Amino acid sequence: MAERVFITGLGMITAIGDDVADNLRSLRAQESGLGFTRQLDTIYKEVLPVAEVKHTTAELLAMAGMTGREGFTRTTLLGLIAMQEALKHAGVSDVQDEVTGFINASTVGGMCDTENVYFDIADPEKTGDFLNYIDTLDCADCTQRIADTIGFDGPITTISTACSSSANALMYGARLIKAGLVRRVVCGGTEALTRFTLNGFNSLKNIDKRPCRPFDQDRNGLNLGEGAAYLVLESESLVKERNATILATLDGYANTNEAFHPTAPSPEGDGAYAAMKTAMEMGGCIPADIQYVNVHGTATLSNDVAEGMALQRLFGENVPKFSSTKPFTGHTLAAAGGIEAIYSVLAISHQIIFPNLHFKDKMEELYITPETQLVEQYPVRHVLSNSFGFGGNNASLLISKYEG
Amino acid sequence: MKGKCYIQGMAAITPQHTFEGDPMAQPMVVTHGNMLSCAEPDYRSFIAPNSLRRMTRVLKMGLTASLKCLQDSGIAVPGAIVTGTGKGSLQDTERFIKEIRDYQEKALNPTPFIQSTYNAVNGLIALQQKCTQYNNTFVHRGFSFEHALLDSMLLLHEGTADVLAGAFDEITTEHFFIKGRIGHWKKETISNDKLYDHPSPGTISGEGAVFFALTPVVTTQSYAQIGGLQMLYKPSPEKLNIALPKFLQQHGLQAADIDLVLTGENADTNHAHYYEILNGYPQLPFKHLSGDYETVGAFAMWLAAQILKHQQIPSQWFPMLQQQPAKLRNILIYNHFFGEQHTFMLLHAV
Repeated sequence: MAERVFITGLGMITAIGDDVADNLRSLRAQESGLGFTRQLDTIYKEVLPVAEVKHTTAELLAMAGMTGREGFTRTTLLGLIAMQEALKHAGVSDVQDEVTGFINASTVGGMCDTENVYFDIADPEKTGDFLNYIDTLDCADCTQRIADTIGFDGPITTISTACSSSANALMYGARLIKAGLVRRVVCGGTEALTRFTLNGFNSLKNIDKRPCRPFDQDRNGLNLGEGAAYLVLESESLVKERNATILATLDGYANTNEAFHPTAPSPEGDGAYAAMKTAMEMGGCIPADIQYVNVHGTATLSNDVAEGMALQRLFGENVPKFSSTKPFTGHTLAAAGGIEAIYSVLAISHQIIFPNLHFKDKMEELYITPETQLVEQYPVRHVLSNSFGFGGNNASLLISKYEG
Repeated sequence: MKGKCYIQGMAAITPQHTFEGDPMAQPMVVTHGNMLSCAEPDYRSFIAPNSLRRMTRVLKMGLTASLKCLQDSGIAVPGAIVTGTGKGSLQDTERFIKEIRDYQEKALNPTPFIQSTYNAVNGLIALQQKCTQYNNTFVHRGFSFEHALLDSMLLLHEGTADVLAGAFDEITTEHFFIKGRIGHWKKETISNDKLYDHPSPGTISGEGAVFFALTPVVTTQSYAQIGGLQMLYKPSPEKLNIALPKFLQQHGLQAADIDLVLTGENADTNHAHYYEILNGYPQLPFKHLSGDYETVGAFAMWLAAQILKHQQIPSQWFPMLQQQPAKLRNILIYNHFFGEQHTFMLLHAV
């Protein structure tokens, strides 16, 4: 019998807070992190809103305790700050007291820093400190720098499945535990804003010039965000041994592919439906058991139709409360699955539903609307957290209250 | 991990003629210069012309190798698609970075952005084969393919009937230059067939797209059994030294049971010392055939599976081979990527 997987530690940094408590405070205060960039050098500086972490990279270096160190990208530093909080929260002072894995997620690695020096790096005539950033071109650099700083000695890897990356990292970590290969693994993702991704989504005409409006008839695209989030996963036996506090359980998860289009979901939301249904059933739940869905809800025209159709197909007339938290954090790509998994845990531990900001009018294709109010003292026992991405990649996590 | 894993089909696009005909009968391709490029097949038999026009090189290589692999295995729609890539589509990444600069962020074509996404090849395979199941992509240097393999083995163990697992990486002249700046390649220009005559800092670069169809059951067409896999991240010499005998012991083997080691030895004196753990083992290096890159482990596994299936080492590819081993039951692969990600893979004849 495979062991159950428990969530025992949370750590994050986003545009709405430097740690989990700060994020929860902003969610409760309904304060969005969207604004204009101070860090990115782009012609869209005052045109396209983003949800940027409110610190310079030098400040992040200090926050991570790495002042004076070379070659740490913004991606790495966001990750390191979230990682330090997650381990502390789980009461792990030395990761080597138990073989511990680290499954990270990234979409463009250290692009945030390399895009500024790329043409110098590729130019034989130029030389200088920028050569320190050559290794940060890939996705593994941030993972290894975090791993080396913390001292992980278990399985280490990086997953990149676009916007579902960190949900897949959590899933892979849980499966490593269930297979008995490791008893503790930290999973999540890190993402810094880049000119590369901003222009990428803008070239796809997927970015709204206004703050994004998930599930609104008048929505017109997403806003990008940045941040990092990690969750400490532990096996039941390890949790018992060290008497750790269980924050929630990860009893169900699914990864499906739509095989429909490279960047767009099917209008009926086949992949979203399959991912949610499979995750729910794996955790032994029926639709009536779910109290809240933290939707992917990017506010692109196609995502919200597809995801909404999938919710209606799965839950029929009794769709549970659902909201997209992307108007708070922006779409943080590889970090989104981790950030929203943490919000799902918070929904359970604080019995709270977060509002879907900026919603006004119901979409004509759907009969459902998202929760627009902050709902306190709501009995949340099971949450589905959705992350969907390019390449037709759909991931859904079932996060549940621990009830023995 | 319990459970079995067999290679039912495979395909490889590499700097050698590995894709068509009897690869074991092909002469060695010799390239003068430190950057080996793939012998690319005619993609038109696999990809429709209108799709082909839009695709960049590594997408074509990845998709074509995966489709040939499925053909070879007789599995049309695999239960999962799992890949590894160190660099994804470099050409698209480079192109999009340049277009952002050249067009000053205006009126950009989104295609290179979409194709630069690391899971673009996986998405294409899923789309082409209508595979709606599990789909994952690992992007961690010298662990990219190996974690894809571990994920695949977990899936088979969890009950998935068959998995398409693979890896792909390309090299471009621009990236070759960039990695040369941090000492990845030899300063002197050599031919790949003379690689081991040039022990010096750095190695030669390469690329490849290699896919496997994996199942938990053996059939008459199985190439080999994948018996074990282990990854070690930046191990100390002491840790590495104990790791190998321990790995073999976990699989009920001793050093004497290993008929051949395919080693990642690449004449790079900066990181050559790790391969000393293989002293006393019958061994052959393989990177003169492929060059070095993040997911070269997939090529080594393809090679090991071919050797086990044919019960013969292709001597034209291994001029250093003195005599064929008396038996070929167990092949060990030991590779590391510039001293950081170390991997053991164990294959058995079926």
